[in-house]
Amino acid sequence: MPATESLPELLARVALRDRRAFEGLYRATSAHLFSVSLRILRNEGRADEVLQESYVSIWHHAAGYHAAAGTPMTWMINIVRNKSIDLLRARRTEVASTTEIGDEALNVAADSAGEPQRLLDDSLIKAKIAECMGTLSSQQRQALALAYYRGMVHTDIASALNAPLGTAKGWVRRGLDQLKSCLEAAGVSGV
Amino acid sequence: MNYLLPVRLDRLAREYALGTLAGPARRRFERVVRSSAAASMAVDVWRRRLSVLDLAAAPVQPPESTWHGIERRLFSGPNQSASTATPIGGALQALRVGMEPRFDALPASYVGVLLDPVGKAALVASSRRQGRQLTVKLLQPLNVPAGHVAQLWALPKDGAAPFPVGVIYRATQIALRDLDSRTLHDLGLDRSEISSIAAEVAHIHAELGSAFSDDDGEYRGHLRSFIPIPRRAGA
Repeated sequence: MPATESLPELLARVALRDRRAFEGLYRATSAHLFSVSLRILRNEGRADEVLQESYVSIWHHAAGYHAAAGTPMTWMINIVRNKSIDLLRARRTEVASTTEIGDEALNVAADSAGEPQRLLDDSLIKAKIAECMGTLSSQQRQALALAYYRGMVHTDIASALNAPLGTAKGWVRRGLDQLKSCLEAAGVSGV
Repeated sequence: MNYLLPVRLDRLAREYALGTLAGPARRRFERVVRSSAAASMAVDVWRRRLSVLDLAAAPVQPPESTWHGIERRLFSGPNQSASTATPIGGALQALRVGMEPRFDALPASYVGVLLDPVGKAALVASSRRQGRQLTVKLLQPLNVPAGHVAQLWALPKDGAAPFPVGVIYRATQIALRDLDSRTLHDLGLDRSEISSIAAEVAHIHAELGSAFSDDDGEYRGHLRSFIPIPRRAGA
């Protein structure tokens, strides 16, 4: 994740329609946000499209950012995640009614964005809650990772992990409960 | 369905933040989030929690064409001056450059930035509607102690005691028409003062402070500089 020292200031100035600050914000954050979209969409062209739409939205809605939404990076990540998830699901609906899914950029996503569970484990280590989250089973952590990094819904997770739907839902729920407990125990409210 | 029952709201908020809430249920909950502060806060809490999962993400540089595409969408062409700009300086300097006040026109509104003790932007206060309303946005958490509120204070130019302007909670709008004309003058929001402020942007005309007040309204904490910046008319 890039350094965030100047992001609140940049975002504040973007809210004031400062184009120079907007470019500064883009240069400081676009690589991270691109990886977020790539992980979910697994296609560079579509991730690029979402990234452009996201920055257009950031430009228009910067004044709506508030500190309760987390850091500016957290706020922007959620804009990108929402747009990526929307496109992913819209495309699935579209493709399901026309042709089979052409996942032409799987290699790009796998190499450059990282595998979900490894990314989850590494993030938990950085957040200093890996030991606490280690009480979850590998499948529970994998379910959480597939939901967060791949934008999968419960049925996708159940299919990917070859588990009943109810079991997959339980894994995700348990993963979130444990994440909340671990963060509270560590005194971390989010970055 | 009552979405705002605490247990149900937390379940929906976390599934929405994670992304597992799908289809019509996701759209319905998005409408709830837009209309309910409680729902919005519940989603924010889960987004902050989940944000730790991004700590180890490796960045992937997008192609340069992405930035040009954004510029085309927003500005209908590359902005050469922005690309060759000098590095960002302090908040005041940046605002001077960014706002490009027109001194030949009477500004319709103001924007001011409250800086924290290390000079970072902490709060944006803007006035539209010819100075009758002050809109306040927080740019970083105020870390208000339990049992206290964050209170915006005004420090009159004549050295009189600070007085409260309004309680700050997230985005806040304060009706300035409730304040008397002397107060407006001291805050630099009186239209009669606009020309002189516009002519000297860096002049600190008044000070507002983000400080804590206890239950009996006693002022506590440090005042911080409030720098009124004339905003381009019609911006």
